[in-house]
Amino acid sequence: MKTAVFWGCRILVGQYAYEMSVREVMPKLGVELFDLREALCCGDPVKSVNDFAATYLSARVLALANLTGTGDLLVPCNRCHFTISEAKNTINTNSQVSEKIKGLLKEEGLGYNPDVRLWHVIDLLHDRLGLDRVKKAVVKPLKGLRLASHVGCQILRYTDLGRVDDAEDPKKLDYLIGAVGAESVDYAEKLDCCGAHLLLSHVDSALSLTGAKLKALQALGVDGLVVSCPDCGLMYDSRQKDAATTVGAKLNVPVVYYTQLLGLAMGIDQEKLGLQLNQSSVETLLTKVSV
Amino acid sequence: MGLTDLMSMAKPNLESRRKVLSKLKGKELVNCFQCMRCTSGCTSLKLLELEPHEIEKLVTLGFVDELAASDIIWTCVTCLKCVERCPQKASPYHVILALRNLAVEREAKVPEAFMKAVSQILETGLAESPQKVTTKKMEAFGREGLKLPKVCGPKESFQMVFFKALEERQ
Repeated sequence: MKTAVFWGCRILVGQYAYEMSVREVMPKLGVELFDLREALCCGDPVKSVNDFAATYLSARVLALANLTGTGDLLVPCNRCHFTISEAKNTINTNSQVSEKIKGLLKEEGLGYNPDVRLWHVIDLLHDRLGLDRVKKAVVKPLKGLRLASHVGCQILRYTDLGRVDDAEDPKKLDYLIGAVGAESVDYAEKLDCCGAHLLLSHVDSALSLTGAKLKALQALGVDGLVVSCPDCGLMYDSRQKDAATTVGAKLNVPVVYYTQLLGLAMGIDQEKLGLQLNQSSVETLLTKVSV
Repeated sequence: MGLTDLMSMAKPNLESRRKVLSKLKGKELVNCFQCMRCTSGCTSLKLLELEPHEIEKLVTLGFVDELAASDIIWTCVTCLKCVERCPQKASPYHVILALRNLAVEREAKVPEAFMKAVSQILETGLAESPQKVTTKKMEAFGREGLKLPKVCGPKESFQMVFFKALEERQ
């Protein structure tokens, strides 16, 4: 299949490992990615400032996706996925807003298309391609790994918008972890938030949330945490050291993106998956699977 | 001192209440019956003492000016659990966003990072600027070093139109 891809800000400016692994894994599964003409913010931080302007940014993203002519848009970031989904809903249900937005887009010669389908990495792999397709691509099953999944908040809620998985009992990421031969461990803190949004206003509280969850996972003795959102990756991986300082604990939880994990199982080079960029102790995880 | 204590001397402002309600088209704030399901699952409750049901009640009663000027509306982590779980579709998250928007309109104290993000978007299209990532071997990589495609910002015409969008209010 062919799909346009919208990365959002956080992946493009720093969560390179996610971008690299998505770019590596998807084409090998038969998904051809088309970058949008321009990089743009989805509107997420603008929602708190001016909801209308945020809706406009999301609509502009959809208009850019429309230009690629694929009809599908992969959005690997949870926050972008939510912001765009909600904007779509507002434009569909509020004719006043919809007309204003379409007018603004027209000024740049852009057109809104309500039929662009949104995908996240998780539902693209699980629903569109299917677990069998994923399993077939695995050449080195990651046997013996016990991993915890962290889906993140904004692709799960709220259900009225149509989300990627069940809001209270998400399973798709766990099935995907199972598909690469690893074991997915259930745990009480599964739905706890990483806290990334609070980086904008209360940094210590944001890091406390991150640290608290990592502490619980460490006590559980898992081999690693699997994420699929650049915000969660930023908090649990890039800022794990800061989180450890904030909660006063020694944290050593390897954190990987699901697409990195899948790439390993598909036999892709570690460097191509950006594993050298992970700040958490991924080495211990890599030694266990000896790939 | 709790949030409610701050209101003991305040007078309801129905005009401000109307303003928030108009921003909440279709979100049934007035139907909130204070079951506190939002608060019992609120991510920010333990850390920052955010009690969404209290915010719902205060807006319904018209204590909007106090809330728009308060720090408490900036403690929401936007996990959306309250939206999902509210049996009355009164969505505290959306009420908090409406209050944040109102605070910006009134030029109340808004965490700097939000305004910075907006001006960055105006300038470059993205809310943040590209960073280098340092590996454990102390090598710093940017997009180019990782052979990732160059990031192209939006065309110049974007700035003007986005500025117009910022002047509009929903």
